[in-house]
Amino acid sequence: MSATATAAPVVGQSRADESAPVRLAVKDVNFYYGDFRGLKNINLDFRDRQVTALIGPSGCGKSTLLRTFNRIYSLYPEQRADGQILLDGRNILDPAIDLNELRARVGMVFQKPTPFPMSIYDNIAFGIRLYERLPKAELDDRVEEALRKGALWDEVKDKLRQSGMGLSGGQQQRLCIARTVAQRPEVILLDEPTSALDPISTGRIEELIEQLRSEFTIAIVTHNMQQAARISQFTAFMYLGELIEFGPTNRLFMNPAKRQTQDYITGRFG
Amino acid sequence: MDAPTPSAPAPQAAVPAVPASPAPQAYPAQQALPAQQVLPAQQAWGRVRAGRRTADRLLILLCTAATFLGALVLGSILLMLIIEGLRGLSPALFTEVTPGPGSEGGGIANAILGSLVMTLIGIVVATPVGVLAGTYLAEYGRTSGLANLIRFLNDILLSAPSILIGLFVYTLMVRPMGGYSGWAGGVALAIIATPVIVRTTEDMLRLVPGALREAGAALGAPASIVIRQVTWRAAQSGIVTGILLALARIAGETAPLLFTALNNNSWFSPNLMGGVANLPVMIYQFALSPYENWRQLAWAGALLITATILGLSITARFFLRGVKAR
Repeated sequence: MSATATAAPVVGQSRADESAPVRLAVKDVNFYYGDFRGLKNINLDFRDRQVTALIGPSGCGKSTLLRTFNRIYSLYPEQRADGQILLDGRNILDPAIDLNELRARVGMVFQKPTPFPMSIYDNIAFGIRLYERLPKAELDDRVEEALRKGALWDEVKDKLRQSGMGLSGGQQQRLCIARTVAQRPEVILLDEPTSALDPISTGRIEELIEQLRSEFTIAIVTHNMQQAARISQFTAFMYLGELIEFGPTNRLFMNPAKRQTQDYITGRFG
Repeated sequence: MDAPTPSAPAPQAAVPAVPASPAPQAYPAQQALPAQQVLPAQQAWGRVRAGRRTADRLLILLCTAATFLGALVLGSILLMLIIEGLRGLSPALFTEVTPGPGSEGGGIANAILGSLVMTLIGIVVATPVGVLAGTYLAEYGRTSGLANLIRFLNDILLSAPSILIGLFVYTLMVRPMGGYSGWAGGVALAIIATPVIVRTTEDMLRLVPGALREAGAALGAPASIVIRQVTWRAAQSGIVTGILLALARIAGETAPLLFTALNNNSWFSPNLMGGVANLPVMIYQFALSPYENWRQLAWAGALLITATILGLSITARFFLRGVKAR
């Protein structure tokens, strides 16, 4: 499909829908690693059923920003965020928010595939069982549905009881996506999901993201500008903890408003 | 071309048979290779000084010699143990109790059973304490002050002389209970085993990548579920290895039993009160005795313990291979 593009960014097979409702609104967010301020006054909207890519050089804060959306950073006591992040109008940085519920609504897939040391079936069922007590037959259906959405079903349907660790890297990553999808979240966060994968696996994940867009709001951090151009409808360019430019992907790549954006996407730095 | 360095003696003298300086002119004529790709022969060969080569061989020799020396000493101990131990091996060993002074024959059945029971008590007490404490250190406490304190104390306990632990349990249990008992012996062994399990559990949990914990948390699983279903499972074989190594460690401990279980020449009572026969103390007492049949039994007991520990270590190694495969 779109995975073969190698040279200049091939922009936007599907156009940005600027009238889509805002699913996740970031307002004046700052982030601190101890005393270091990793994010500076970020303001950004993520629109419903659109893929928004966060790009920028290493250390610019794109992963940091992504990690505020499910508050996964709160595993580490020295990290904190302030400002507001509104998910359907509710501020998720509010300490009163139930983190487990938040994380069921905002799923996340990591850079390196993270299958749990259990069977393929249990990997998917793990997330479902946390919230729902389903009869066996219904759970089976949910697992199948998730694996189908993760574009993995045909490859694993005969070995659901085998360990998830035995799959290839690309399959493991699709397993992780399926596991996230199984919880029926609204937003899916992808933190450089293909950077540990070979080009063919990368292509399959990109196709999968394109399919998932019909159901989920997706935020993806990527190093790879061509990938951002191929799969996203909106792109945010970040640099040194600041949001430099944000807009529909094809406008940002074809006609960047800021000098820094232009320099980055033409490969002058980064 | 003749560099005045003192560093290239014999080998260099041998090489100049290959023309060094004419080469760059000869090659272009043949159009074989571009001139700049051909290094002058004197630079390519003979740059390793003879002294360095000698030092290299000497080190290999020393390492090999030391290995052989170590293997020889250990091997001769093992060989003697096997020869003497096999001589003492008989069916009576496993059926009869330890003989009294001056009596003929006898076995060590009571000591085998006593050792099994006390080792079992030790490991059953130490495993939950050790695994849970190790989990606290790796998952909850991490770098907190309390965790560092516990880690420090655990390291001390790990290297404490085991006779101290025997004395500690003597004051703690033997005196208040009014006599030696298998319970006191089991507790002393548990105290020896616990720090080993704490340490390996923590180390093995720390090997589990943080991304796995984040992935669990990202699905909305509370820490307790992530630990029970994900990190413990990921570290499972390492933790089991630690328990087996602790088991091997306490199976041969003598000092902590001297003051707690002591020994006995008959079957111990089911309530484990009074002296309880066990292999290490039996070996200690019988080996020093003037009776030939006692010394035979000591050898046989020693072989039995060694074989058990060997078996445990091999099993542990087998489990550990599973850890490294990931």
